[in-house]
Amino acid sequence: MSQSKTPSHQFQTDANEMTEDVDRRGFLRSSLRGYMNTRSATQNRFMDYDSARTAAGEAKWEAIENLDVYLAEFADKLEARGTKVHWCNNSDEARATILEILKTHNAKTVIKSKCMTTEEIHLNELMEKEGFEVVESDLGEFIVQLREEAPYHFVFPAMHLKKEEISKLFQEKLAAANTTDPEELTMIAREVLREKYIQADVGISGANFAVAETGMISITENEGNARLTTALPKVHIALMGIEKLIPRLEDLALILPMLATAGTGQHLTCYNSQLGGPRQAGEIDGPKEMHVVLLDNHRTRLLADPEQRDALRCIRCGACLNVCPIFKNVGGHTYGTTYQGPIGSVITPHLRGLKNWKHLSHSSSLCGACSETCPVKIDLHHHLLRNRRDSASKGQGGFAERLLMKGFVFVMRRPWLYKTAGWFGKIAHVLSKPIHGTRIDPFYKWKKTRDLDDPAKQSFKQYWESRK
Amino acid sequence: MSREQILGRVREALSVKTDSHVRQVARKTSHALPVLANGPESRTVAVKEFLPFVGPSFEEHVKAFRTLSEKLQTEFVCVPNIESAQQQLQSLATSNRWSKIGLHENELVQATTSGLELETLNTSHEYDIRDLERCDVGISHCDALIAQTASVLVTSNSAGGRALSVLPPHHVVVATADQMVTTMADGYDRLRASVGDQWPSFLSFITGPSRTADIERVLVLGAHGPKKLTVILIGDEPSSWQ
Repeated sequence: MSQSKTPSHQFQTDANEMTEDVDRRGFLRSSLRGYMNTRSATQNRFMDYDSARTAAGEAKWEAIENLDVYLAEFADKLEARGTKVHWCNNSDEARATILEILKTHNAKTVIKSKCMTTEEIHLNELMEKEGFEVVESDLGEFIVQLREEAPYHFVFPAMHLKKEEISKLFQEKLAAANTTDPEELTMIAREVLREKYIQADVGISGANFAVAETGMISITENEGNARLTTALPKVHIALMGIEKLIPRLEDLALILPMLATAGTGQHLTCYNSQLGGPRQAGEIDGPKEMHVVLLDNHRTRLLADPEQRDALRCIRCGACLNVCPIFKNVGGHTYGTTYQGPIGSVITPHLRGLKNWKHLSHSSSLCGACSETCPVKIDLHHHLLRNRRDSASKGQGGFAERLLMKGFVFVMRRPWLYKTAGWFGKIAHVLSKPIHGTRIDPFYKWKKTRDLDDPAKQSFKQYWESRK
Repeated sequence: MSREQILGRVREALSVKTDSHVRQVARKTSHALPVLANGPESRTVAVKEFLPFVGPSFEEHVKAFRTLSEKLQTEFVCVPNIESAQQQLQSLATSNRWSKIGLHENELVQATTSGLELETLNTSHEYDIRDLERCDVGISHCDALIAQTASVLVTSNSAGGRALSVLPPHHVVVATADQMVTTMADGYDRLRASVGDQWPSFLSFITGPSRTADIERVLVLGAHGPKKLTVILIGDEPSSWQ
């Protein structure tokens, strides 16, 4: 993606490129099919999955609608047990805060477990520029870091890559043996990273949830990399958005199985850990210092929207991406955002500005598969419509779109004109046949990917009148 | 200062109530409403009423734990008493060719590992992390076993710190029959009853050996944590341990 392109232009060109890559699309689809099968099997074990969704959704509603109370409680509880809590208005503040901590400890190497919020504030680039060695420890993240690209999917970062590509990458960057066996490739990464955990001065993690009642962060993972990241280095920094709150510890007993089911189709993810501070008196290991960095970065702007604050309830399971027909066709990198897919299309305009990101609201067929699959029942596809509405009412549609809509209204209000336009349309359709597929056709661009059927012999109006 | 700024913006944002239509959408087509009306306690109810079914008896708990363990590739062994647990560990040591073991100070762990004459690292005292890295296994106790999810609930107190149960390539858990509970919510209840508000700094639900499917969705065990997880449940009925 070149710098000069607008996000909308970049989306268009990348989408074109990806949709033409039939092989890659097929690869993506087959892995998502595997996910769908596992997930339905797990979902079917529930006594009442839909009610579980409602209940999980209510827990997040309670947190979001009382966010001020729960945030304060969370921070107070953490501080009482020796954690330093940092409140950051925007990404600059969060980056400065984290850098400051690294410098205070004379850190040289940093081990990271998966954290999308660090992608949001572009932390890795900054740390590397400042001379720190930064290693991503989640296998998927480790792979995309070696490739110097962004995660493809916020739950499956390297889902677009085939084992042959990963093998080649490991041979080039790690001087690894030539193997395409996923198990052997995983073991290569394991060996490399083991040493990093032990050497690292600071561990940086995210948080899937923050429990207000007990002042704990909760981290969900399969690999054990987050556990090692938060156990071995002497300093642990957790970066999280302020929307991650949940009221009570017991809420996790419901939400964690929902996250696993919707996210990967597992009934529960391998490690669900809650961390409530640095090493306490009487404990023998764990970091000596723990920092929690709370990030706003326009989340309060989304909260101020009485309709779309709904999207702050997201638990980042990624299910809406997996079922989205757009995601399946254009892939993750096309979005050009930290959070891809339907949820990304809803929240990115709020976090980065509607004007530049309104095109995401149109990257949707409005089929509603996302809303139907969401484990906390976020009304995703309607929020995309709301973003379209807001963009139009601010006059961001552009001159052509406004003119077109004015013309449409003008015609639709005058039945005689509508009838005449219909006749002209039919004639134009016949006349355009010889020039179909050539650039003389005024609708060349539109027709390039679409076929226009011949109009019915009898119009609906004629049919209706003949019935009488 | 930033704290007040952010909290101020949150309060200001929340001064406008959530759109009632949006709020309704999240609640429609659900049977959960009567339960939800009861307030926050309802979440514990939801875990029992909506999540996968587990029968109330100890036998049913063990059965559920076993079924899921097979799927997860957790090795789940039930033994009647401490002596047979010792034998179990002995045979694990032989078949896995352990030469160095990690453990912590705990009555049950000490009792079950007493027969093992191997080089031992005790993580209840200051130790070098490289020493633990060289262990073939970490043997620990736990706080509860969760039947609904086949999980082991551990804390930094019950499992010899944060590293013992994740760094060595094999994790063995010894638990007693009275530690088997139905749901994760029951697990938290147990913990609350024993720690009050003195929470250990770390707690974790361990569900199977470490895994990844990041390369072409192929399941690989032992991504970063243990490649093997063994759970040894001691006792035929919970009452034998009360």
